[in-house]
Amino acid sequence: MKNRLKVLRAENDWTQAELADRIGVARQTIVALEKGKYSPSLELAFRLSKLFGKPVEQIFDPENVDGKPE
Amino acid sequence: MASTTINPVKRAAQRYFIEFAISMTAYVATIWVSRSLLYGPMRTASPGWQYVVALLPLVPILVVFGAVVRYMLGVDELIRRIQVDSLALAGGATALMAAAYGLIEGDYAPKLSAWWTFVTFMMAWLIASFFVRRRYQ
Repeated sequence: MKNRLKVLRAENDWTQAELADRIGVARQTIVALEKGKYSPSLELAFRLSKLFGKPVEQIFDPENVDGKPE
Repeated sequence: MASTTINPVKRAAQRYFIEFAISMTAYVATIWVSRSLLYGPMRTASPGWQYVVALLPLVPILVVFGAVVRYMLGVDELIRRIQVDSLALAGGATALMAAAYGLIEGDYAPKLSAWWTFVTFMMAWLIASFFVRRRYQ
């Protein structure tokens, strides 16, 4: 699933490690999310939404969901 | 969450490595103690006690098992998925290899200790982790 995580992270001037620390995940998870290789759970998506102060659909692109499993 | 808070995933990894290192040290120590006893003062002990002493190294292995479970519960959803997928693949691969070897063991291949199943599973887990992790890089 495509997303704007990398852009939002850059806007806040955070490194991947800093973002990982802020939401309590591994940096590897941030890398996978930013590359669209992993779709987060609802819980993680809402944690990111809360952190960036934006609705989930402004972070993750719902138009890009093709219904195929990862 | 404040950036100064310790990342729970890092904390889980640090705790796992500490527990793993202590357990492995204890494993080596108990192997040495049990073998020294079994081939020394306990050579003529009752078989029941010999079993107990021979199984002593299982205690630190159980601690490692607990450490793995705690690690899996402490990491984030992606790391847990990678490990669970890896474990599943390793379990399947080990079962296939055990079944295949079982068909030829004795007649066409030498009999092996059951210990090799454990070693094979751990190696398969390591290899599977490497490939499953690559899917998300």
